[in-house]
Amino acid sequence: MDEIQGQMGRRAFVGWLRTGRSPAGRIDRVELKFNPWHDPDDGRFTFAGTGRRFGTGGADPADQISGRASGIFGRPSIGDRNRPRIPATPKVQAPRAQQRVGNDAGVIDRRPAIVPLKVVPGLRLVNQSNPVTEFVGGAGRELRDLANETVTGVRSALTTNPVTTVRNAALGIAGMIDAGIAADDVPARVQISRAADALANASARDIGRAGAYVVGNAALTLAPGAALSKVSALRGLRKARLRPTYDPPEIGWAKETLDRDKPWAAYNDAAPGAQAGQAPTLKRKLPNGLERAVKFDGVQGDYVIDRKWKIVDAPHARAQLLRQSEVLRRHNVIGTWEVPDQKQRMKALMLFKKMNVTNIKVRVVKP
Amino acid sequence: MIAIQVASIIASFVVFFELADDDVVDPDAVAKMMEELAAELETLDKGFLRELIDAFAIVAEEDSGKVKEVVRNIPYRFYLEEALAADDPVRLAELEAIRDARD
Repeated sequence: MDEIQGQMGRRAFVGWLRTGRSPAGRIDRVELKFNPWHDPDDGRFTFAGTGRRFGTGGADPADQISGRASGIFGRPSIGDRNRPRIPATPKVQAPRAQQRVGNDAGVIDRRPAIVPLKVVPGLRLVNQSNPVTEFVGGAGRELRDLANETVTGVRSALTTNPVTTVRNAALGIAGMIDAGIAADDVPARVQISRAADALANASARDIGRAGAYVVGNAALTLAPGAALSKVSALRGLRKARLRPTYDPPEIGWAKETLDRDKPWAAYNDAAPGAQAGQAPTLKRKLPNGLERAVKFDGVQGDYVIDRKWKIVDAPHARAQLLRQSEVLRRHNVIGTWEVPDQKQRMKALMLFKKMNVTNIKVRVVKP
Repeated sequence: MIAIQVASIIASFVVFFELADDDVVDPDAVAKMMEELAAELETLDKGFLRELIDAFAIVAEEDSGKVKEVVRNIPYRFYLEEALAADDPVRLAELEAIRDARD
């Protein structure tokens, strides 16, 4: 009984998610959630008249002017300009609705306007409290939970009732994707990829276990279709870039020759992580298979540092630059040259450009 | 006259380090040594540095082939002309253009 009620509730919620309308039988008929305005760049909700209007859910301009959505999420009606608008997260060149002045007063101008970024001292731009963002954040948390349940629901549907497999799979997957899109963007990406993995891994096995081969194929065909139907919405999400993580480089230490008491010697010895009489090294593989150490002056976390008192543009210096670049690439780390002044920095940058080296940075560190 | 002698001494060391095989001298040690030599040369009196730059061209004529090329290029490799023109932005811009055109 509880399970039936849970399924009905989940269907009603998914229907509400997809259409913005409350389930049949609801008395008040008040639309509690629908905002067709989205930022085309990141898919987030925007205020009415800003961003781009998606969907056909009834939020036409006439509705807006009539103030249908007045007061929802703390948004003042179009005609009520005396009430202060709650500021959204500022964006550079975000298209905003403008109200024309003069004879056209009261007509909404949909042309995008350039809004300069206003920085309020002491106010964090990214975390301003906003009823809309709070709603989205709160809904996102709920919907992620729903998505998890939907994955479980789809799996159980595929194993228990082959007849309803296709429909349930479509419903569950679509609802899950809706939930993922509605949730906060970063968790949504994670959520969607996890859900897709779960479906890809579980569906075929479970379908095969149920013995419904034909239905299984239909479900597997339909599932990508359900996902593809949401591609236009998914495109709004920024692509998830998985940043590969690498093991920290194996830093070796080699003995260094003694230097005279000169400024450049002191400068090199003062590199971060430097040890007296020792130079941090990375192993470089030679074409003959042997390994040879490439010396640096310091190490800071995963960054290796080479201090250069003077830049020399000679064959040996170029060869050293290439050696360092190669060994840094092999160990997936970035190197830093530290130089004492801007002149040396410019020389170093020119040298990098000539040698097409991009994985070494250069910065000025005063002696 | 002394500039030529000093230039000859410097040239001998630069040729040795520049042309030494990696198995003979650690290449990173060579790079470090050359940076220190560049620092020492830039601290020279400007007038003497001018004589020294001109002397490298004279000394280079005593050699041939790769060695001659290394000696003649010492002022260029060590940014010695730029050191002399440190207070002359026009000359610095000219030298930079020459350097860009050369490579």
